[in-house]
Amino acid sequence: MKYPGASAAGTVLLILAVALLTSLVTAGATRALTLTDEAGREVRVPDRSERLVSLAPSITEILFAIGAGPRVVGVTQYSNYPLEAARLPKVGSYVNLSLEKILALRPDLVIGIRDGNPKAVIDRLAELGVPCYIVDPTSLDGVVTTVRNIGRAVGREQAAYQIAGQMASRIRDVERRVAGLARPRVFYQIGVEPIVSAGQGTFPNILIDTAGGKNVAADMAAYPQLNVEQVLVARPEIIIVTSMTREYDFERVRGFWGRWPGLPAVAAARIYVVDSDLMDRPSPRIVEGLETLARLIHPQKFK
Amino acid sequence: MRVTPVRIMTTSLLLLGVLAVVCLLSLTTGPAKLRSGAVLAELFGSPGALDAMERTILMRVRLPRVLLGALVGGTLAVGGVVFQALLRNPLAEPFVLGVMGGSAFGAILGILGGWAFFPGVTGVAFAGGILTIALVIGIAGGRTGIHANTLLLSGVIVNAFFSAAIMFLLSVTRNQEIHNVLRWLMGDLSLSTFRELAILAPLVLIGFTLIFASSRSLNLIVMGEETAMHLGVQVERVKKGLLLLVSLVVSAAVALSGIIGFVGLIIPHVLRILVGSDHRLLLPASLLFGAGFLVFCDTVARVATTQTELPVGVITALAGGPFFMYLLRRKRR
Repeated sequence: MKYPGASAAGTVLLILAVALLTSLVTAGATRALTLTDEAGREVRVPDRSERLVSLAPSITEILFAIGAGPRVVGVTQYSNYPLEAARLPKVGSYVNLSLEKILALRPDLVIGIRDGNPKAVIDRLAELGVPCYIVDPTSLDGVVTTVRNIGRAVGREQAAYQIAGQMASRIRDVERRVAGLARPRVFYQIGVEPIVSAGQGTFPNILIDTAGGKNVAADMAAYPQLNVEQVLVARPEIIIVTSMTREYDFERVRGFWGRWPGLPAVAAARIYVVDSDLMDRPSPRIVEGLETLARLIHPQKFK
Repeated sequence: MRVTPVRIMTTSLLLLGVLAVVCLLSLTTGPAKLRSGAVLAELFGSPGALDAMERTILMRVRLPRVLLGALVGGTLAVGGVVFQALLRNPLAEPFVLGVMGGSAFGAILGILGGWAFFPGVTGVAFAGGILTIALVIGIAGGRTGIHANTLLLSGVIVNAFFSAAIMFLLSVTRNQEIHNVLRWLMGDLSLSTFRELAILAPLVLIGFTLIFASSRSLNLIVMGEETAMHLGVQVERVKKGLLLLVSLVVSAAVALSGIIGFVGLIIPHVLRILVGSDHRLLLPASLLFGAGFLVFCDTVARVATTQTELPVGVITALAGGPFFMYLLRRKRR
């Protein structure tokens, strides 16, 4: 007996079944999404990454802030925040990464940063089949975006968007408060001997600007070395010393500038010390850095 | 002791054995803590002892790194032997004729340009080295032949010029790739792949064969160029040929490894103390010992600290300095 119609229907059913099965199988096998990272590279990130390696202290901070901390298996030197992160295995410093140490941790996703991580190492990792998502925050809003992007890459979108939203509204709040105010000249001092400041393109420069100050090194190279004369001529009204110089004793820095009582910052006793980790790491805590600076520069607006 | 083919053979085999042991040691050492037994099994016949990631680490990270270390170490040592002989100066080393400055400058342009490490950065580094050495030889070579002192002086000046140019570039750039530059300048074997080895290995082998073929001429030139000429050596041709050949191979090695100091200066002296200064023996011995020395130093660099990896140049100087002083002292007694 032949039932051509039934046979045709059977074939169709069979094709459908096969198609369905295939789609199920492929869905299972390729549960990964392709994202374009901040360096413009296409990255296939696992649907749910279980072993994350962070290639910069700022990225470590973001991962822990959005609740992906328990999945982080490796960090770089100086990843000192939060405390749990400091105890994780190190894969080198963010500018001097060890390829083998990264691979030995069997990451299913590596998050790196364009400014600092050697491109050659990232290229090699990608070549060896380790997905690397690269972030490139270059502004305050860029940091907010980076938090969101990392959230998407590691499957913590909701938490990341919430934190990003809070960061953005705190930034807007500072901007509102300092809008239209006179901008005092701020000298930001990283190094003591020699005197090093932060200029173009650096986060301290962006923070001072957003906090309503005028960075006297704004037009200089990224981390310019200055002589005393240049600082005196700039007549800073506020001097901010970062804690990177803590071994040098803040009091001695204050004493050093005290030799020039004509400096407005000295006359007004406006020399302050701040935590450098809050100022130069593109992580959620940078908003704290911004608020700290804004309070020091415009105290009357933050009573 | 007289240098006979048998002695060249036995010494080379002995040093080859040492090199093999150092390479195996290096392949089983590293932050990834692969079990030595499993590594040996994987290498010699019965794969399966390592899982996929461990195999990747062994075969695609450590193996090319060890092989590159051996090739670069051997090249630098042989380069040092030839340069010290031709320039008749114990302080000569393969970078002295401008190769260092030229290839570093090329590499930095490539890195700041954001090019891929291979073939982009390595390509310009190689071109920089070769062009510079050609320039230096051009300056020093006159109608009366190449004068060793003029050659050395032009090399030193060209290196100084390029160092200044590099410092200038590094001071004015706001380029994000600057960290990569420092890594290259300090010497780094950790990122090598078989692609690059496939280019360097034949170059080193052919180059070394040609250099080894000139070892008799080198022996005579060391005794004095006039004497060599009277004994039938075409001194100028041999000199120019060897200078270019060594520079070619050294430039290729440097392009892949960055600036690794000390090997090219110290290993030739160590081997002169150990096997004498007959180039028929000194050249192969330096090749093998230099290879083993750099692989050993790179192994130490990999595991010396748990926090990060040290630049291999730090280890070559730290390990090589005291060893060399010990040999010098022993020789004088």
